[in-house]
Amino acid sequence: MSAPPEPADADADAPPALERAAVRLRLVGTAALAGALVAAVWLVATLVVGDFAGSVETTFALGSLAFGFGLLGWSGAVALGRGIESMQTHLDTGTGWTEADARRAMARILGFGLGVMLGATTVGTAVSAVA
Amino acid sequence: MSTETTTTTTNETAADVDQRGLIDRLTASPFVSRLLSNRLALAGIAIIVAMVVIALYARLFLDLEVITQSQLGTNPNRAPPSLDYPFGTDGQARSLLPRVAYGAWYAMLFGTVTVAASTVLGVGLGIVAAYYSDVTDNVIMRTMDVLLAFPSLLLALALVAIFPDELGLWRAVAALTLVYTPRFARVVRGAALTVLENEYIDATVALGAADPRVLIRHVLPNCLAPITVQSTLNFGLAIIDLAALSFLGFGAEAGTPSWGLMLSNGVSQGLLTGVWWWSFFPGFFLALTVLGFNLLGDGMRDALDPRMREAVD
Amino acid sequence: MISTRFVLKRLLLLVPVLVGVASLVFSILHLSPGDPALTIAGERASEEFVRQIEESLGLNDPIWVQYGRFLVDAAQFQFGESFIIQRNTAVREVLANKLPVTLELAIYGQLIGISLGIPLGILSAVKQDSITDHLTRIGALAGISVPIFWSGPLLILLFAQVLGWLPTSGRISVLYNVEAIRVTGLVTVDTLLAGNWEMFVSAVRHMILPASVIGVYSMALISRMMRSSMLEVIRQDYMRTARAKGQGAKITVLKHGFRNAMIPVITVIGIQFGGLLGGAVLTETVFAIGGIGTLLVEAIKVGDYPIVQGTVLTFAFLFTLVNLGVDITYSILDPRIEQ
Repeated sequence: MSAPPEPADADADAPPALERAAVRLRLVGTAALAGALVAAVWLVATLVVGDFAGSVETTFALGSLAFGFGLLGWSGAVALGRGIESMQTHLDTGTGWTEADARRAMARILGFGLGVMLGATTVGTAVSAVA
Repeated sequence: MSTETTTTTTNETAADVDQRGLIDRLTASPFVSRLLSNRLALAGIAIIVAMVVIALYARLFLDLEVITQSQLGTNPNRAPPSLDYPFGTDGQARSLLPRVAYGAWYAMLFGTVTVAASTVLGVGLGIVAAYYSDVTDNVIMRTMDVLLAFPSLLLALALVAIFPDELGLWRAVAALTLVYTPRFARVVRGAALTVLENEYIDATVALGAADPRVLIRHVLPNCLAPITVQSTLNFGLAIIDLAALSFLGFGAEAGTPSWGLMLSNGVSQGLLTGVWWWSFFPGFFLALTVLGFNLLGDGMRDALDPRMREAVD
Repeated sequence: MISTRFVLKRLLLLVPVLVGVASLVFSILHLSPGDPALTIAGERASEEFVRQIEESLGLNDPIWVQYGRFLVDAAQFQFGESFIIQRNTAVREVLANKLPVTLELAIYGQLIGISLGIPLGILSAVKQDSITDHLTRIGALAGISVPIFWSGPLLILLFAQVLGWLPTSGRISVLYNVEAIRVTGLVTVDTLLAGNWEMFVSAVRHMILPASVIGVYSMALISRMMRSSMLEVIRQDYMRTARAKGQGAKITVLKHGFRNAMIPVITVIGIQFGGLLGGAVLTETVFAIGGIGTLLVEAIKVGDYPIVQGTVLTFAFLFTLVNLGVDITYSILDPRIEQ
């Protein structure tokens, strides 16, 4: 649980902000790529055996579940971070929760979900175009 | 807490578990002796034992058919408490006493299943998160945190909608299992990290023990105390939430003698006419049971090793 | 003191929150077993009719098209019409009618929770480990052990049926027509605006029991937080010095300490507002007050999806706004915080 301390304000100085944006983009991008791959492999498999149209729907819905969850968690961490941290110190329930960690984890989840949605859309469109 | 006791607990690692009998270990444990000297916790135990006896009695000796079917014509309708009907009768002329007693069975049964299922899920996730730190840990635990941030009843309502109606009370059990899992994951992860910090585990890993083996044989036994505390505290909550879902109409079928459903009936049909016994008795037993679990749980938390206490809320 | 930029930044957070909630709702609706078209048409409808409805709802489009349309609609708070609960009424309209009911209940409940929880917490901290302290803490524990759907009926039976002091249920006596004077939808405010004292008294009397029942929950948490945070302040050095200097100095410093001790408590009030909304669902049912809590329960039960979507998004919106308010209060209390 040793997150590197982040500067308090995002636009305090320009170059690191840009750099951080790149880091964030990579974080979300890697997760999205993984999500798209998983969705594609799964859908191609169901194309061979099983109900393809149904599983496109389900896969996309699962993707939006992860995406929505991650997005909600990310904004929750930003909005409530201070409250959660003070609750932990005062109610004796410390688990080393930090806002920065939470945001990073949520970025991964929402990226993955986004990837699954995009993957399902691509494979779904491609298959219906061929057929 | 003296330093001495802390050291004893620390040294009592997995190696000792195999060599000593369970009873010996229990009586020698500072946790148990501290717990037994807490009067409020003892009161909690007494309440729980009484409820378990009532539940078993109802399950073994009462006929569910008679309790569930309308008794109009046989019994007086809407009769206030009397010697013949100590808790009165309801709008179907059913005596409330056996119904409330049977409600204890439902509360204990479904409460146990809910807590057991979320314990198993939470223990799995928590231990995995603690062992494989970094990304896995972060993703699992932050997900759990988000789930924890939702108000439990609203989250349960959202989840209940996913499961089909036909499941009845099991639908509520499934939804609440998912709602409670994060609490266990968090406790177990915290406790497991404390255990993993022990050099002892490092030595085992160095000797080449496979991951699952280390987790199950060495980490899990040492997390048992905080897991038990969390289960106890959660039992009370599970009973309330199960009743709340039944109260709102997502759970037991009409006629089932569950406390939540009886209360719902008492509120919707008994309040305006002043029929107090429809809501009083089921609610009283519900609140008493919950209080019993809360008292015991609080006592257990106080008796825990302070380093483990941090993780339990 | 508070920069507009800070407030705007916080308001911007509403976007990811609402998109997130909308995506969650979308996925849950698509993963759950119900069939919306069948729900509208009814079990016995002809297959053709069901297909017609499917067409009009756009259920035959690819799922990503449905998702995009759903997000665009949600952004405009446009959820179509209610299927079942109020057939052919726009969801927006249904919500506009019911929202003030829940809002009023939550506001008064929160007020009761804060105005009892803070003094009790301070008392507990100042008289640490005394009988007062123990009683307060046990009281708080007992308060959360008793479910709302039992304490509510008991209070109704005692104060309404036995003593006859307060009304049993509803928001205002049925003798009055509140719709005629509707401005804000909050009955205690509308009756005052109309200048009708008798109606106002009736509204307040109806509010006492439900607001107390729901307020006890926030009270328990707030008093715990206040106690812990006040204890921490009391233990600090400057407080010790002040205590040594005598009574007068001690009171001055307690006042100063109170301000510091409030900061963590304020942050928790925002988080706990979510629990309050959950409690509102039960309280509205017990006291027969038709707000968005009972609306949500009803909509889930009968499968009125547009209403479910609208209600859930409204809950998320409210929660985020309350926490924005908390953030602003926080930065007023503690000007040192960088915005």
